[in-house]
Amino acid sequence: MRIILFAVLAVIPPTLIGTLVWQGRKAPPAEYAAASARPSGQEADKALRALFEPPPTGTKIKEQITLYDEKGLFDFIDGAAPIFIDRHFRKLAAAEIATAEGSDLDCAVYDMATPENAQSIFDKEKSANAKVVDGWPEAIAGPMSFVFHNTRYYAKLTAFDAKAEAALPAVAHSLKEKMK
Amino acid sequence: MSDGEQPRAGNVVPETRLRENGKKAGGGNGDNSNDMDRRALFRVGVTAAMAVGSVALGLGLRTRDGHGKSKTLPKLKDHRVDKIQGAVEMAIVRGPDAAANVRRAVEAMGGMGRYVKRGERVVIKPNIGWNRLPEQAANTNPDVVAEVVKLVAAAGASKIWVTDVSVNTPEQCFARSGIEKAAKAAGATVVRPDAPAFREVDVQGKLLRTADILFPFVDADRVINVPVVKQHGLSGATMAMKNWYGMLGGQRVKLHQNIHLSIVDLASMIKPTLTIMDATRILLANGPTGGSLADVKQMDTIAVSSDEVALDAFGASLLGLLPTSLGFIVEGMKAGLGTPEWRNLKTEELGG
Repeated sequence: MRIILFAVLAVIPPTLIGTLVWQGRKAPPAEYAAASARPSGQEADKALRALFEPPPTGTKIKEQITLYDEKGLFDFIDGAAPIFIDRHFRKLAAAEIATAEGSDLDCAVYDMATPENAQSIFDKEKSANAKVVDGWPEAIAGPMSFVFHNTRYYAKLTAFDAKAEAALPAVAHSLKEKMK
Repeated sequence: MSDGEQPRAGNVVPETRLRENGKKAGGGNGDNSNDMDRRALFRVGVTAAMAVGSVALGLGLRTRDGHGKSKTLPKLKDHRVDKIQGAVEMAIVRGPDAAANVRRAVEAMGGMGRYVKRGERVVIKPNIGWNRLPEQAANTNPDVVAEVVKLVAAAGASKIWVTDVSVNTPEQCFARSGIEKAAKAAGATVVRPDAPAFREVDVQGKLLRTADILFPFVDADRVINVPVVKQHGLSGATMAMKNWYGMLGGQRVKLHQNIHLSIVDLASMIKPTLTIMDATRILLANGPTGGSLADVKQMDTIAVSSDEVALDAFGASLLGLLPTSLGFIVEGMKAGLGTPEWRNLKTEELGG
């Protein structure tokens, strides 16, 4: 009896380890796959902040830029967080920007693990009623909103009045130029 | 009332099962005295475990104040009013004027005087979670909130609070939603979710035993839920039951891990007087945050009931969703919180 019990207990750990290793080898879907080569966390954070330094032409940052990690993402977008986390979200930079005319717009740039992850979340959130921007197929504009993806970044700009809405394309282009 | 309460499974193992287990444990060796000792030891062990468990449960319902002394936590009251036989159970009003829709719907439900008595303190709970304009439909329409405040004031309430725990920065949310200004102008006291506004409460939930809750929900005699209808990335939709996330401080990540059961757990904790659901504009996609007007649909509809499951089922139909496809509606029905078959309720539909 003791020998059987010992044998069973001895077999369990290698079986568990084997199962975990085998599952780990299964390739994830391409859109969820994380990049093996990407900047370290600190470098990526620095690059994310640098998108707003200096602020997009003709604007100023109203309050300090806030970075959110995976856990903090719920504090910014609540129940929308898991669809980002499932696609290898790394960090979010959120900022409220004021135009020269004093209009406000909300700017959120999501740093994803790979360009494929950024495209995946763009495709997931693309509104059926939003229009693709002329000459920029990776961008859509809905009333009061401008959304695009470039390299590993996914950006959502939201306007709070008509003047801010008019400023959205210029702000988006300014951010895109800095996305390496 | 105990509509939402479930009988708890006991920890006591039936005596017959103990005996059977004892037989199996000692079976075959013929050592009866040894068997008796084991049974006695097992009984002592079970009794001791039950005693320790009871003490631990008792202590779990108490907490320590700042001086290390134990204190008993307050509980949430039952805010419902008695049902009237034959009365309208759900009112749906459609029309271009949101405030008028609220007035007509509440009137169809018997008038605010049926739900709020003179001198009572009332908390009104809209969705003020987001740094968004009313047109972006992420928050409750400010005109709807203001009209509810006016009706409650006209019924003779001695105190009216309007409050919510915002997801984005509260100052921005309360201002940009237009709700702070509208509610104050209508006569309410607006409570922002700053740290002193929370109180630890024994909520007796399945997932949450205690919770930090905005004080008006503890102090109020009546609670009126005023949610907006939105698509939601994780739960499928957010309407009446999900709106209770906004009375809690600092537990969102934990509650999102088991979203449907968490929604029902919260909805079981608080028993509102009335729910006035805002579908003036609804958010069809990219909820709960939204932002693009391309995702917003003008519905010009207000629905009122004391059955939150029925209202959520109706709201789901506005979003083009099958109510039974939403886990929290199914779980809410199972928990006895209401019925998704809202057409089976005595319903009055006006306008449109």
